[in-house]
Amino acid sequence: MIIVVDGMNRDRYRGLLDQMFELRARVFGGRLGWEVEVVDGKEVDQFDALNPAYVIGVNEEGRVVSCVRALQTTGPHMLSDVFSSILDGQPPLRSPTIWESTRFCVDTELLGRGKCRNSVSYATCELMAGSLEYAQNSGISDIVTVIDPVMNRVLKRSDCAPYDYLGKTVPMGKVPAMAALLDCSDERIEKIRAFAGIEGDVFVDEETADSLADKVPAPKAPETLFEGMVPAASEIRVTQSMLEEYCLDQFHAASDMGELEAAKKLTGILRKAGMIRDSEVDLIAG
Amino acid sequence: MSVVDLSKLPFQGNNLRSFLDEVCETHELDYAAYAGMNPIAGSVHGFVNYPDEWQKVYVDEGFQNRDPALIAASKSIAPVDWQRLRGEDTFQTIFRAAHDFGIADQGLTIPVRGPFGDVGLFSVTRKCSDAEWALLKKQIIGDLQNAAVHLHDTVVKSHALTQKLTHPALSEREVEILQWTAAGKTQQDVADILSISSRTVEVHLRSSRSKLGALTTSQAVGRAIGLGLIYPL
Repeated sequence: MIIVVDGMNRDRYRGLLDQMFELRARVFGGRLGWEVEVVDGKEVDQFDALNPAYVIGVNEEGRVVSCVRALQTTGPHMLSDVFSSILDGQPPLRSPTIWESTRFCVDTELLGRGKCRNSVSYATCELMAGSLEYAQNSGISDIVTVIDPVMNRVLKRSDCAPYDYLGKTVPMGKVPAMAALLDCSDERIEKIRAFAGIEGDVFVDEETADSLADKVPAPKAPETLFEGMVPAASEIRVTQSMLEEYCLDQFHAASDMGELEAAKKLTGILRKAGMIRDSEVDLIAG
Repeated sequence: MSVVDLSKLPFQGNNLRSFLDEVCETHELDYAAYAGMNPIAGSVHGFVNYPDEWQKVYVDEGFQNRDPALIAASKSIAPVDWQRLRGEDTFQTIFRAAHDFGIADQGLTIPVRGPFGDVGLFSVTRKCSDAEWALLKKQIIGDLQNAAVHLHDTVVKSHALTQKLTHPALSEREVEILQWTAAGKTQQDVADILSISSRTVEVHLRSSRSKLGALTTSQAVGRAIGLGLIYPL
């Protein structure tokens, strides 16, 4: 069964998230040998701080057996910020109706072979069906996902082959990584469900969700909108002369042509935005 | 779909409000609202097409700061259906008050995240039964996602520095596909020419439209020509 944990309910599921970060450490830090940071047996990166959504597979004992992380492609995400090598230096896709999925993994130690409920194959299909249904309900039509060739083979064998790939397959630790495209269509969801024999709702009901929640709930403080997100007016009072001085410093500190070009470009941007004076630009660049 | 192209209009509350009206009319909704923040400008924006009397009450009571629909959605990547919030006290307080002005507690809020840590929250509401709402939602949610990002991008780009920092970074594939589209090729033609699936072409076109702030492919082609990214044919 599948549960979605995101910024809205993550305070209730700290235990589940810890299990998930431990699974990710074993898979990405251990088996796949990616250069990920593992602290305290948990793999957590900067994107986990951005309130992503986690689609998590849980077995009957309430253990995490699979997980994947979703982010919007309109904002910061992995392909735009750290996986640029996969895209061969090309800018990533950006669309309101495309999500990025990363850190897709299943627990191969806990799960067995074959096609029964406690198999790698079933857990993969259930997680796939759950994440595609969650995306589809949100108005998302396609997912770009970063996977390794083993996961790619599992998807192909599960009647869920990606319809295309972006960029190229690049080495990443012990195994390569690639960016695949999946549509969130009824057709694809039905095929995966049929392959694994998944019937009915894959998402946990309210009662099960409660049983998976932390026994000791986190204290809840009253919140206000955009709290801590918008800098206070006093913090951003950057004056014109401060910006001009900064540009001048950039010119002086430039040690090669590349840096000089970057300083010129920045000065140009700020001048066009009317944030520094034309007369000063001539002095700086001259 | 008829659309108001915000980026062609000077940035004014009135024009954004007419965009909200347009979205409501096209998608059989009662009201729409936008709240957003741009950390580069250090600014918070908001506009709605709710009745003026309700706007006054909402602001006087400071509901915008503790509205759970907005707070919850700012932490979600998925649209938040207000049904999920019915159990919360603050939600009950606000919607008991809203009820007096003919505003329903049936609605959803779509969160938008931009590249600079900017966040936009686009809410829509309609008075109807749960069953009717579920049907309508399924139909319009994709369009609402597009409208939400278009609206948010327009608001964020109204700030001079943010606008200068936003340069549409199109990939070679996106440029190639736009160029063939400018030459009058259909999506299937382009797919055949490039030996890729039609869906891949569609995904790249969607991405190009978003990057160029365009609602339609022909607008995107026009802008790409204007920016010198592709050649007019």
